[in-house]
Amino acid sequence: MDTLARIKDMAAKEFSIDPTGLDPAAPLDTLGVDSLSFIEFMFKIEEEFGVNVSDEDLKSIKTLADLERHVAAALVAAGKA
Amino acid sequence: MAARRVAITGAGTVSPLGNSVDELQRSLGEGRSGIRRLPEAIAQGSGAQVGALVDWNPAPLYTEAEAANIDRVSQFAVAAAAQAITASGLDLQSADRDRIGVFWGTGMGGAHTLDQSFLRLYGNKDWRGRPLTVVMAMNNAAGSNVALKNGLRGPFANYSTACSSSAMALGEAMLAISAGRADAIVAGGAEALLTPGTLAAWVALRTLATADAADPAASCKPFDKRRTGLVLGEGAAAFVLEDEVHAKKRGARIHGYLTGYGNSCDAVHMSRPDRDGQVRAMKQALATSGLTPKDIAYINAHGTATSVGDVVECEAVNEVFGEGGVRVSSTKSMHGHLLGGAGALEFAAALLALEQGVLPPTAFLEQPDPACKLNHVAAKAERIAPPRAVMSNSFAFGGSNVVLIAERG
Repeated sequence: MDTLARIKDMAAKEFSIDPTGLDPAAPLDTLGVDSLSFIEFMFKIEEEFGVNVSDEDLKSIKTLADLERHVAAALVAAGKA
Repeated sequence: MAARRVAITGAGTVSPLGNSVDELQRSLGEGRSGIRRLPEAIAQGSGAQVGALVDWNPAPLYTEAEAANIDRVSQFAVAAAAQAITASGLDLQSADRDRIGVFWGTGMGGAHTLDQSFLRLYGNKDWRGRPLTVVMAMNNAAGSNVALKNGLRGPFANYSTACSSSAMALGEAMLAISAGRADAIVAGGAEALLTPGTLAAWVALRTLATADAADPAASCKPFDKRRTGLVLGEGAAAFVLEDEVHAKKRGARIHGYLTGYGNSCDAVHMSRPDRDGQVRAMKQALATSGLTPKDIAYINAHGTATSVGDVVECEAVNEVFGEGGVRVSSTKSMHGHLLGGAGALEFAAALLALEQGVLPPTAFLEQPDPACKLNHVAAKAERIAPPRAVMSNSFAFGGSNVVLIAERG
């Protein structure tokens, strides 16, 4: 499974959303994800992929697609991809 | 304006004796114990042998992912409150929810979350804290989850006085309603601290019961010569307390009235109970209700089955009621000690006596300690004509004593 698919899968489970209609470009707040839920989700993402996303980068993540780019970059930086 | 009378219009529970008031009261009536040997995964190296666990499945209340983000104690609280609200018939959609509050009690709050956090930090040396740790573990989370789930925007309070926490929540809710600060309050308490770390702390206090070799369910024996200590339990109980006028206007079924609330502090010792402090609390409860000792037919005792505690309580009860003057039992023999949830759960047990005249027993009481000279309801439940009033005692570490009195309409 590619990175985006794994993230979508985790998001669907965490936020009780139907994964089939999940648009990676949709702003997270339109999916009903508040700031606290998002921080908890990021914690799980970091654990799942074994990466760290900085506070600075975190602020620029508005969609699952944004998140995928940061995770992919962090995987490359860590020599895991 | 005269003080408003406070009606009890709904109850709910998640307990070691079943996850509804019906199941709880049936078990109490049958003298059936929910105490059992602790599974290895829970006891681990703590040395604790027995406990009173809730048979719990978060579904259908929560999905698996939701349940992972809300501590066990809050899950219990929300479930018990939902039952109480449903039973009360309150229509939250049409009610003025600015006038409905939540008064809650818990001793340790999110103990499971803390335990998991410490395991990660100190055990696994993983210093990435989980973001939800604070809001899951904080002491007011259980009550706040009840308010949040139901949109209850009236007065909120959270009491944490160890074993009297939820009794205090009920008593203070009574005062708030009688002062006109709310039309109704969801009041109760919850505890879920059966974790290896918490158990080890209790074992160190040398107050926990050893397992009864023949029958682990009989390990907690309040007032019995053979008692070896208390048995920790978990669970929650909730009530809808309501301004009588508000309740009657909507045609609610009234199960009884909360009319007496005594609150005192021993100020003598952190853990050793004091007879005089308990006497003050019982007398104050009688005074607020306007009743005399002979009006009280039954006391649900604190009765934890510790060697010192049981004797002190008997002396206090006899000081107020005279020897043999009132029927007494400790239902902790069956549901264990729910600590912060104990007062509320035992208030539900006392209501069984008030409403149906069924006096739940001190299960397994076969050899009463001569130092505990009470008119025991021993081993088996008894039936009496539904009485005028009943009392429930909760005496906590820290010397915090709370006594509640419920009365018929």
